[in-house]
Amino acid sequence: MGVVDWILGVLVRGMALGTPLLWGALGEIYAERAGVVNLGVEGMMILGAFFAFAAAQVTGHPGLGLLVAAVIGGMAALLHAFVSVTLRANQFVSGLALSMLGLGLAGLLGRGWEGFPLSNPLPELSILPPLGVLLAVALWALLYHTRWGIILRTVGESPAAADAMGIDVALVRYLAVVFGGMLAGVAGGFLSVAYRPSWTEGMTGGIGWIVVALAIFASWDPLRAIGAALLFGTLFHLSFRLQAWIPPEPLQMMPFAFTILVLAIAARWGARAWQAPAALGLPYLRGER
Amino acid sequence: MVAIFAAFIAAGGIFSAYGINPIHAYAVIAHDALVVPGAFPEIFRSTIPLLLTGVGLVLAFRAQFYNIGAEGQLLAGAVAATGVALFTPVRGPMTLPVMFAAGFVGGALWGLLPSLLKLRLNVNEVITTLMMNYIALYFVSWLVTGPWRGPSVRGFAYTDQFPAAAWLPLIPGTRIHWPTLALGVVLAAGCAVLLARTRLGFAIRVQGENPEAARYVGINALRTTLLVMLLSGGAAGLAGVGEVAGVHHKLLDPNQVSLGYGYTAIIVAWLARGQALATLITATLFGLIYSSGDVMQVSLQMPFRVTSVFNGLILFFLIGSERLLAYRVRWAPRPAPADPPAPAAAPHRPSGEEQWE
Amino acid sequence: MRGHVSRWLTSAVVIAVLLAFIPMGYAQQKLKVGFIYVGPIGDYGWTNAHDVARRLVEQQLPVETLYVESVPEGRVEPFIDRLVAQGAKVIFTTSFGFMDGTVAAAQRYPNVIFAHASGFKRARNLATYMADFYQVYYLNGLMAGALTKTNKVGYVGAFPIPEVKRHLDAYALGVRAVNPQATIQVRWLQDWFSPPKAKEATQALIADGVDVFAFTEDSPTVIQESAKKNLLSFAHYSPMYKFAPKQVVSGELVHWETIYLDFLRKVLAGKYSADNLQNVDYWWLLAEKAVEVGAEPGMMINPLFVSRLKAATVKTEDLGTLSVYDLVQKRIAQMSKNPVAFDPFAGPIKDRKGVLRVPAGQTLTVAELTSMEWAASGVVGPWPGEP
Repeated sequence: MGVVDWILGVLVRGMALGTPLLWGALGEIYAERAGVVNLGVEGMMILGAFFAFAAAQVTGHPGLGLLVAAVIGGMAALLHAFVSVTLRANQFVSGLALSMLGLGLAGLLGRGWEGFPLSNPLPELSILPPLGVLLAVALWALLYHTRWGIILRTVGESPAAADAMGIDVALVRYLAVVFGGMLAGVAGGFLSVAYRPSWTEGMTGGIGWIVVALAIFASWDPLRAIGAALLFGTLFHLSFRLQAWIPPEPLQMMPFAFTILVLAIAARWGARAWQAPAALGLPYLRGER
Repeated sequence: MVAIFAAFIAAGGIFSAYGINPIHAYAVIAHDALVVPGAFPEIFRSTIPLLLTGVGLVLAFRAQFYNIGAEGQLLAGAVAATGVALFTPVRGPMTLPVMFAAGFVGGALWGLLPSLLKLRLNVNEVITTLMMNYIALYFVSWLVTGPWRGPSVRGFAYTDQFPAAAWLPLIPGTRIHWPTLALGVVLAAGCAVLLARTRLGFAIRVQGENPEAARYVGINALRTTLLVMLLSGGAAGLAGVGEVAGVHHKLLDPNQVSLGYGYTAIIVAWLARGQALATLITATLFGLIYSSGDVMQVSLQMPFRVTSVFNGLILFFLIGSERLLAYRVRWAPRPAPADPPAPAAAPHRPSGEEQWE
Repeated sequence: MRGHVSRWLTSAVVIAVLLAFIPMGYAQQKLKVGFIYVGPIGDYGWTNAHDVARRLVEQQLPVETLYVESVPEGRVEPFIDRLVAQGAKVIFTTSFGFMDGTVAAAQRYPNVIFAHASGFKRARNLATYMADFYQVYYLNGLMAGALTKTNKVGYVGAFPIPEVKRHLDAYALGVRAVNPQATIQVRWLQDWFSPPKAKEATQALIADGVDVFAFTEDSPTVIQESAKKNLLSFAHYSPMYKFAPKQVVSGELVHWETIYLDFLRKVLAGKYSADNLQNVDYWWLLAEKAVEVGAEPGMMINPLFVSRLKAATVKTEDLGTLSVYDLVQKRIAQMSKNPVAFDPFAGPIKDRKGVLRVPAGQTLTVAELTSMEWAASGVVGPWPGEP
């Protein structure tokens, strides 16, 4: 009884932080599946967090805040898509630039919005956590069991082949990146309207970077992202729960060490499913070989 | 250059939004970042770690090894140097050389695991090096809050201060720890020679441009990549030594030890387009950008987030315009160095095993 | 084409450099005062409080202020250089981590006046200052001891450093003075600002049965999180009453402007110069009005809790039996005198290992307070660096 309750309690806490991680990671997984790394998650999240808070505070509807966050996240991602897909510029630099820009803009726009609680917050463990799980399942099914999924994966694995099949590579990449940005926006919005319903500059505090790592940790699989997000969240909570016995750093370090271990083991056994999309990070230009 | 001007114009909008005339703003920035006594050398303070780390990354990228882990390697170097300074009997004039050696080894070792995994098991190095960054971060954090926390710092999360022998000398009147800067310049020159004139350099270039050909001419990929990664990680480790021995004189919170230099250096190396000597210019450019950001905050009294917006814009324009320029010169004969390898995340796959499942 | 561009560039650079030499021509007589902040002004905590004070100073005194925010520890010296180049004659550095940099800068600029918050190194042109909360935490502890039903009160601490340990110990002494059965459960964040960490630490304490919270972290997270379970809390640093008007009992508020105004008035009057600051250490408390009890200026105790505090009685050695509410009022009055008529760290006090830390009839010196490492009895949980 006691043990089960204890474990359940810890898992519920893992879900709280796991939710923004999961939403963000699902978005990043889709972008990367299309072959575009987006290191701008932190920037998109903080923009989402600010706009969600502002919209929810002004209108009184947290749901509307989340919607606004999705739109803003998508718009920020559009910039990344334009630079990295259309201009075929370096995706890593573009993503870093987007993070800087997002953190900067949110910090500047957010002046004067700090220090107020959100009047009508969303309960933390209400719709977004289960919706995130459902979304993960849906995205998994879409990715592996529909024509759309095949198109997306082809674009990420071999854009030339996709092109030969008559697929508009640039369009697919745009859609995937913008969709990813929308989810990152929602993840940020969750932080400011549900997780801790208020706005403070820099409130994402590096969660966006963990999202990038998480997408990799989940080996670009939406279903595995559920477990990965839960594990991150749970270990984070445990680092406070178990503080009397274990210092927090080793626990918080664990997912990262674990990632390397999993990759090494998977590679040892030749598990293809654990590998990155082959064209990840590469711009595509028709006719270039 | 055109890109930077475009970014300036875009950023001018921000200045206007703050009620500052953009031309006046740039005049103030130019004046206070370059002309004011003592301001000019300040540019090179952030140049130093960027230069060392950037040169190492150029080398790795040329060999198609996408080392994203410079931040962790830098921290590992800082830890090794701190270990020497505080916890070994090494004292006197030998302290600093031993610290640099230890830092080089520390950084190189931190890069070793990802390279072995890549070479033995073909595990994507972008992922492993990135993960190693986080591990280094938490490791340093644990050290300074736990076993290495100094008895003399009243419980704060620092080690004790280094003994005087472990402080890097400065150029008088500035805060430039010149031995590290000199190391950076030597390393940049050395790597340029290495790439252009030596067997190893040849191996690196061939392997980077055409791994198939490299195998064909009998280049030992294992040996080449390992050497490259040792150099690359070691260079980042040296930068870490410079930061703790030249700036902080103690080990502290990892986010204070390195202000994201390992990540910025990726951009430095990428802008250098595979040329080791070009990092001298690109690292200085970033030193100037940082320095201008400081000026914006102090002289124009703007919030520090303005600098992130500004830097983000500059980067976007830099990388965006590059392709636009490339379109324009398409008809001209291609310049000798082909399109430099972008530090992309694509793992190398032997041909034949193409296509999706 | 290329040549054309570069010619255009060259001329642009030349113009820029020429512009740079145009004298800026500020007509300045006002004293320039620089502030170096460790965090962003938008943190709604430590840095925000300093900035509120800076703006009050600018309104009330004939000075001009400059500020820089989010300064990394390794860059405090370059920023001091730049502030001095801008003409700053007085510079406040507002974080412990800036100490060594400020000391070095004070040597380099012997004619500039420096003041460093929360440090312990001084020089002829470097003063130190701190608005400390330990008395206020003691008063909060008195209330917490009366209000806990589970006899477990919680404390979410930033770093296990003497400053936070001192506040925690004072809080624990207050709790135990009213409720000797109560324990004080501790969690550490290793961070001054981290809403996610504060949140999970609060949750961990809730799981341990804690029902009243105090904390040291620069956001209202602990208040918001505990209020969801209708648990009580004490605000920290900024006015946080509005984050949970039904659960916030009281808290600590700071008024850095009292120190800044006093210091700068003395500088303007010529009383402080770059030669006589060796022994200037502001250690300002309730009596100097540098700190205030409450979660909202002017509201010492949330009216919702007054009746419960009046109903709870406590026996004291010096004041006999009285209600906790009256005890709080009397202690405030005693500590608002100068010199104080009561100090929370009045001996005999034993630490949680049973070692006598303050002998009977004595109180602690400022140096002992600022280097405190021991844990008061009743404190439960990890305590790094415990002697």
